Amino acid sequence: MLKLNNINKYYNAGTVNEMCLFQDFNLSVAEGQFVSVVGSNGSGKTSMLNIICGSIPVDSGTIYIGSENITHMPEFRRQRRIGRVYQNPAMGTCPHMTILENMALADNKGKPFNLRRGTNKKRVDYYRESLKSLGLGLEDKLQVKVGVLSGGQRQAMALLMSTMTPIEFLILDEHTAALDPKTAEVIMELTGKVVKEKNLTTIMVTHNLRYAVEYGDRLLMMHQGQAVMDEAGERKASICIEDLLERFNAISIECGN
Amino acid sequence: MKKSVKTLFLAAAAVSLLAGCSGSSNSGSAPQNSQTADTQTSSAASEGGTSADAGGSGDTGSQSPADKKSYTIGIGQFAAHGSLDNCREGFLLGLAEEGIVEGENLTVLYENAQADGGIASQIMTNFASQKVDLICGIATPMAQTAYGVGRRQNIPVIYTAVTDPEAAELAGADGTPVGEITGTSDKLPIIQQLEMIRAVLPDAKTIGIMYTTSEVNSLSAIQEYKEAAGDYGFEIVDVGISTTADVPLAADSLLEKADCITNLTDNTVVASLPVILDKAARKNIPVFGSEIEQVKIGCLAAMGLDYVDLGKQTGRMAAAVLKGEKKASEMNFEVIKEAAFYGNTQVAENLGITLPDDLMASVKELFTEIEQ
Amino acid sequence: MTLILGVLEEGLIYAVMALGVYITYKILDFPDLSVDSTFPLGAALTASALLAGLSPVVTLFLSFAAGALAGCATGFIHVKLKVRDLLSGIIVMTGLYSLNLRIAGGRANVPVFTQDTIFENPFLAGHVPAVLAPYIMVLILLFIIIVCKALLDLYLNTRSGYLLRAVGDNESLVTSLAKDKGMVKIVGLAIANGFSALAGSVYCQHKGFFEISVGTGTIVIGLASVIIGIQLLCPENGTSPLTSLKLPTVRPTTAVIAGSIVYKACISLAISMGMEANDLKLITSLLFLVILVVSAERRKKVKPHA
Repeated sequence: MLKLNNINKYYNAGTVNEMCLFQDFNLSVAEGQFVSVVGSNGSGKTSMLNIICGSIPVDSGTIYIGSENITHMPEFRRQRRIGRVYQNPAMGTCPHMTILENMALADNKGKPFNLRRGTNKKRVDYYRESLKSLGLGLEDKLQVKVGVLSGGQRQAMALLMSTMTPIEFLILDEHTAALDPKTAEVIMELTGKVVKEKNLTTIMVTHNLRYAVEYGDRLLMMHQGQAVMDEAGERKASICIEDLLERFNAISIECGN
Repeated sequence: MKKSVKTLFLAAAAVSLLAGCSGSSNSGSAPQNSQTADTQTSSAASEGGTSADAGGSGDTGSQSPADKKSYTIGIGQFAAHGSLDNCREGFLLGLAEEGIVEGENLTVLYENAQADGGIASQIMTNFASQKVDLICGIATPMAQTAYGVGRRQNIPVIYTAVTDPEAAELAGADGTPVGEITGTSDKLPIIQQLEMIRAVLPDAKTIGIMYTTSEVNSLSAIQEYKEAAGDYGFEIVDVGISTTADVPLAADSLLEKADCITNLTDNTVVASLPVILDKAARKNIPVFGSEIEQVKIGCLAAMGLDYVDLGKQTGRMAAAVLKGEKKASEMNFEVIKEAAFYGNTQVAENLGITLPDDLMASVKELFTEIEQ
Repeated sequence: MTLILGVLEEGLIYAVMALGVYITYKILDFPDLSVDSTFPLGAALTASALLAGLSPVVTLFLSFAAGALAGCATGFIHVKLKVRDLLSGIIVMTGLYSLNLRIAGGRANVPVFTQDTIFENPFLAGHVPAVLAPYIMVLILLFIIIVCKALLDLYLNTRSGYLLRAVGDNESLVTSLAKDKGMVKIVGLAIANGFSALAGSVYCQHKGFFEISVGTGTIVIGLASVIIGIQLLCPENGTSPLTSLKLPTVRPTTAVIAGSIVYKACISLAISMGMEANDLKLITSLLFLVILVVSAERRKKVKPHA
């Protein structure tokens, strides 16, 4: 489904601060797989997501979705097949537009943004139903501006909006990191539900080891641009938090801290 | 809520600032006005201020025939500029000659638009709402704005310092008025200037002129120079510029080709005149001016306009309109009757030139040093 | 009465331009200085077109189109050539100065007093009753601004309009929607500068002449109108100095038009209070500073939890 082949990525190339992040990095994700990615700061998790989405260019290597080479496709065009939820709840919604307008925007993804009415009246009931499924009472606040909602409510909306239209990929970039533990729990449950319902191929970066263990059918641990641990299926199911912590410590000692 | 209080406070501060400035400008404008018209005292100016306010509420003298002797006029000047200030001064003197004296039977509302078109039109609307008896527009854009407002409100407009009223559509062909509007033109006395240059430099063959390509007035002046130059045995060499930055290079090329240089009233060129004068002095090439200010700073001589005289002439026309002797639509626009000779003996000495005696006999003002 | 009509006329003309500034400054969050040159662009084009015998109404559309083209240029320079927003505006502003002079036939001042305009033409002369004559200008301007406002309101509620609002609000969402945010910005700048040039066209026909200096300070008037209007009538955080008056809520576009009229009324008041224009520039700049401080304050307030 998704293939990263021989990816090379340098930061500050040609300067004294040159830093190699990825050297010959390879990854392939099968259709319908839910990959959890953990790793320390600077290990390349978010860079990997940015490379997949096209937010940052690669120095060499190829990226395929299915049989299509998307290495040089601009970011916005890749997004037609990808839904992305960011760590910052503000990134996934428009604060000065109402909930209804935000839903309508998301609903029009992939359709031409022409001079037809922005909000299709016939879809309002559908929006209300989807919002109801969040269980946050947003269905009664359709005319409220998103800017006044809490971070958790906005993140829930962002999740809903990014999965509203048919997509092939869901990218979750530490999407619970900015939320309080209880809200994070709610959003995570919701994520699991949506992914299962729509059978989405998903890559989730998280710092919460419990989520990494509980969710997903494949686990990736990144370190210095390498996948130092890559378990799937039964072996993934048998991993517990302690195993992960042990690996983390081992890596840290290697690095001398 | 706190923020809105802060916003309100800031707004209030801005308003009080506006009020404060207007207060100080009222008292500040009094001495300025008394400079322009020496017949007037500062107490009269403040009186003028109050009757202007009364004019705003709609009971000026113009509405009660018994009190017809007192007038309110609005003077709108396009920009702050020595020549334009002289125009305004002359205008009030001209009115005074005809017995219409500021502070006695004349209230003057004066505004300067600082070269801002938007402000200009608001100034004119304001004049109209104060129900002035006449609007005086100084310089072309102001005259046009005044006409735009005046023709709708039936207020006569007198203009001055408009170089080409026909091109500005303020006068029809042959100088006939297009409506209740007339005035004076500050067109250069080009023939007299050519005569004067010939008298000062009997052997010169070419005259160089620098001008800004976008200035309409400069284009028409160049045209006239070219048509008349042959009669005096001259050839005109012209060089066009678009910005101040072009002046030094253009001056160099002009000084290569010309025996002498003469100036128009081209704003961009005049603003950079010291650069041209400096380069010309090094090559010992005389530069002629077009008005008194240019001679003052180092041009050899000029047959120029006396803007005070031009203003006076305009003021007399305005007086005729105010008194009801003539309508603005019955008077063609006028040009200055006589050009005045200005000379600078210091420049002449530097160049080793003697200004001819017959010109010196009629000199309007002679400068003995170069003002830096 | 003359003064009120005068203020309304001035305010309504500049309101058309302010609608454009509302799009760039408020919706796109793009400090677009090119309006300073697209306003005279509309005026220059109108003067030349009227002299060439074109219908005054046609010049309005022509000016809008020319302004939109200039807006595209600003957008293109910013988006495709990756020049900073402020600089792109300055580049277009500087370049258009020369172009405006060319359009005006190389002249810095073009009178059209004798031409038919949207305000003075045989049709109006034959059909307007004398009672209405003093108000006809305001009525025509009112008609123009209402059409502009209605069209803009309609547009902002289309899918394309939603996208325009989204790009100023949250660029990354537009990317997430698989849309090129650069294109959306270009569209926004085109509409905004179209309005600015349209205002220039109306201005030229109202005043009866084109003058190269009419554009100076247009952006200041536009910004002032937008911020005064929005702050007073529909503040985003719901606390306006006028909230206590229980005014009905209005659309931002209406507020911008009101803001333009209020701004012009302030200037008129200042002039009729006897203030010298010499000080006006300083006052305008101080007013501008106050406005910027107020809006910067609000931005600070919104961004952290935005």
